[in-house]
This record gives sequence, C-alpha cells and structure tokens, in this order.
Amino acid sequence: MFFKNKDHKKENLVLIAGCGRLGGSLAGVLSDRGYNVTIVDKDAESFRKLPPTFTGFQMEGDATDIDVLINSGIEKADIFMATANEDNINSMLAQIASVIFGVEKVYARFYDTDKQNVLKGLNIQAILPSSLSIEEFEKMNAADELSEEGKEGGRLL
Amino acid sequence: MRIAIVGGRSKADFLIGSLLKKGHKIVVINNDAGYCKYLAGRHKALVYNADPRKQYSFEDAQVQGFDLIIALTPSDTDNLYICQVAKRILRIKRAVAIVINPKNVEVFKKLGVNTPISATYMLANIIEQASTFDVNINSVSIEQDQIVLTEILVREVSPVCGKALKELSLPDKTILSGILRAGELVAPTKETVFENGDKLILLSDPSVQQSVIISVAGGL
Repeated sequence: MFFKNKDHKKENLVLIAGCGRLGGSLAGVLSDRGYNVTIVDKDAESFRKLPPTFTGFQMEGDATDIDVLINSGIEKADIFMATANEDNINSMLAQIASVIFGVEKVYARFYDTDKQNVLKGLNIQAILPSSLSIEEFEKMNAADELSEEGKEGGRLL
Repeated sequence: MRIAIVGGRSKADFLIGSLLKKGHKIVVINNDAGYCKYLAGRHKALVYNADPRKQYSFEDAQVQGFDLIIALTPSDTDNLYICQVAKRILRIKRAVAIVINPKNVEVFKKLGVNTPISATYMLANIIEQASTFDVNINSVSIEQDQIVLTEILVREVSPVCGKALKELSLPDKTILSGILRAGELVAPTKETVFENGDKLILLSDPSVQQSVIISVAGGL
C-alpha cells in the first residue's frame, strides 16, 4: 500500500489538515494501522466524521495559521496531508509543510488538476480525485468491453 | 510597466487610477461581474471578468511575461496561489500581495512572493510608534524594517542644542541625513551647530534607534 510502515524506529507522526470525508477517513485508517495521527480542523463539529476507533489527537484551529500548525506538531511530522475543501488552502499548506518545515512526505488533494502546475519541482504528491475517477472508469469500461466481446463470440484482444 | 491587478474592490479601483496616471499598462482580473463593469466604465484599462483561482483565467487575459502582478483578493491562500501562478507559470517578474493574517508575511516571502503587504502589520507598527514616542519625534521604517528614519525636533532642553555635530557621539550605523531649519533643508557639516527648532533627519539601524533618540532628545 501507499503508506507501508517500513521504518519502525520512527514515531510515524502524521498531521492531517482538514477533517472532511477524505481527511477523517484517512485519519481513521492510519490510526488503526498504528500511526500517531493529529488532525486539525477549524470546525470542532467536523471531528464527528472520525470513526469511533480513532485514537489520535484532534486540534481545533485554522491550519492556515502557522502557529496552529506548530502547535499541532508539524515540526516533528513525518507525513503531512492537506485535505481541506479548497485547493488553494491545500496548496499553501503543502508548501508550508514541505518548504518551510521540511516534512519528508507531503500529500495534497486538488479538485482542479491545474493546481499541481505551480508545485513542479517540489517534494509534494498531488492526489487528484478527477484523474483517479477517470482511471477507475477506464478500468471498469475496459473490463466491461472485454466481457461483452467475450459473449459475442470470443473476439478477445 | 505592464501590470496585472487581480481581485479587490476599492483598493483595486484606487490603484488602477493611480498607476494609469503614471503611464503604466493595466490589465484587471476580477471575479465580480458588476464590479468589473464599474471598473471598465471608470478606467482606461482592460478588464476581464474571470475567476482568479483558475490558471486559465490568466492565460485568457494574456498577462504572460508582465512586469508586475498585484493580488488583492480577501483570501491569503488565493493571493499566494495567484502570485505563484504568476511567477512560476506566467513568468511575471514581480508579485505583490496583500496579506490578511500578519503571520503570513514571512510565509509568503519564503514561498516566493516578493512583497507581501499586511495592513494589520503596518498598522501595528504605526500604533506602536505612536504610543512610544512623544510628539516631537516621528519615525518611519523603510526597506522592510531594515532601516529606520527618525525625525527629531531640537528644543532648548535637548542635550544637542547649542552643540556642533563633531561634539556629538551618535551610535554606530547612524547617519545624520539633514537638518530642517526654518523650513529649509540644511546639509550638515562637522561644524554645524544645532539650534532650538531644528528638525534632525536621521537614518539608522532599528536596533540603535532608542540610543539615537536618547543622545539627541534626551530621555523619553
């Protein structure tokens, strides 16, 4: 998987900014796998999206305020994920994590695929839901075509 | 210069007017259609109604290679994005942005915005200066707080009154730039004697400003 726990010596501190569907679910998954997760959101209500098994920390605050990031432990984080619901917020947060605090692995979700253009050359991985959906669609479509062609008389490629 | 002004309302309106007067070529990008109409009616500038959070808006407005971009939206994150698209993709030479949260001034500089401007930051400085100094002393910071310009009124009780410049021991990193005497600027020489009513204009490092004030005007 994408975050395989290779190095057990590290504390594997993960900081997630934005507790929406993506941020909240990722926090749950990583916390279940033994990562030390802190999740930040400016709306305390949003922490209701965290699964009951979540054992990490919840920080209420605006992650675009650098002091909130410092209080959430960005200086020690091994992984930072920007999952706020605005692309430009994620872009700024990911750059703060990577360029200013030197976080080793930085991920950011962007709805607009153009947003990754300004991050060229930086150590930031873009997660693009629209591209992922297209890839998934093409896989499903290819599988469907294969099975239909199969039925019509074995014209398999 | 060719200048792009992005977002903003009254700030944009004022800036467009003042930059056009100085002969610059202005392109405006604003996402408020009504305000675009207003700006287009008032100024001889190209006005585009487009979303400044989208890269293609800048490409449509053809601002590639401009000399300066000014980001005036009310969101720090949007202003940062605008400046980065400008510098990294559109090859615009300089980027200036207003910053709402004063803590972001440093963040913006580290992420490549040449001149982040925070009204709160500047206001805090002015208030601090106004509350520290008495009415006979004025102070302005220049070059992003690296140099401070201090204007001090000499009175009969001031330690420098009646003394010549050569008798004065000013701290290091301090330059007496000029004396305003009866409304005229006097270039100081070593022999110049300070009189009651002179205004001394001094440039110095911010760290020695307090000792400059004390040596010229006495204790506060």
